[in-house]
Amino acid sequence: MGMMTALADLDIEQDLRHDEEATRTPVWQTVVWNDPVNLMSYVVHVFREYFGFSLEEATRRMLLVHHEGRAVVAEGAREQMELHAQAMHDYGLWATVRRAPR
Amino acid sequence: MTADLVMLTITRVESLHLADLVGQFAELLADTDAAADPAVARLVPDAYPDDEEAGREFRRATEHELLNRRASDAQRMLAGLAEAGALEPAADARVDDVIDVALDPEAARAWMRTLAAIRLVIASRLGIRTEDDHDEDDPRFGVYDWLGFRLEGLIQAVDGA
Repeated sequence: MGMMTALADLDIEQDLRHDEEATRTPVWQTVVWNDPVNLMSYVVHVFREYFGFSLEEATRRMLLVHHEGRAVVAEGAREQMELHAQAMHDYGLWATVRRAPR
Repeated sequence: MTADLVMLTITRVESLHLADLVGQFAELLADTDAAADPAVARLVPDAYPDDEEAGREFRRATEHELLNRRASDAQRMLAGLAEAGALEPAADARVDDVIDVALDPEAARAWMRTLAAIRLVIASRLGIRTEDDHDEDDPRFGVYDWLGFRLEGLIQAVDGA
């Protein structure tokens, strides 16, 4: 009997984990990519104006774009990330939307 | 309310040159499809490089609005230049006459977006792929650099205000 109980508990645990994974909203990201045209000061300006980043945070992300080639600027629901990407395009920045890497 | 205004001081010859470029930009937008011209396509980049279907959907939802925004920004900039008297070919005007253009915050943003967009178009025409692509002997790079200089000044004026 003791053994049966333990097995049953295990099943419930597995079910719970399965449900959690199925209902968890996938996280999406807006990524801004480096380009040789946009001024560094302009990218900082855009990050501050649109995302409301501090000068330090905006500069940090701009430098990430500049040196690493890209930076994640937002994370959340897909629709929201698409709005952010469109807003970046409106400024002339190149942004893409992707599922957050696990 | 003048505290919110950004004052841009440019020479008459610059303002005429600027208006000419913005006019050309507006014409390009009116006449050209993004699918047919990489320079226009750069203004509406692919948001899903790894997912063709999602990319198409995003483009369908955003391209028209984005290009309309570029066109209305350009018209706003032309109107601002005209309002400042920058485009009047006064008989006694000298090329080094200085003109003050007063920009409210919204106009300043429209100017910045337009200058950034025109630089993207010129960069595409010039084949600028990396930050090292710069030909001192090509006069078109002079225009590109000058637009960058004016954009930089505008950013400092707006963010410093």
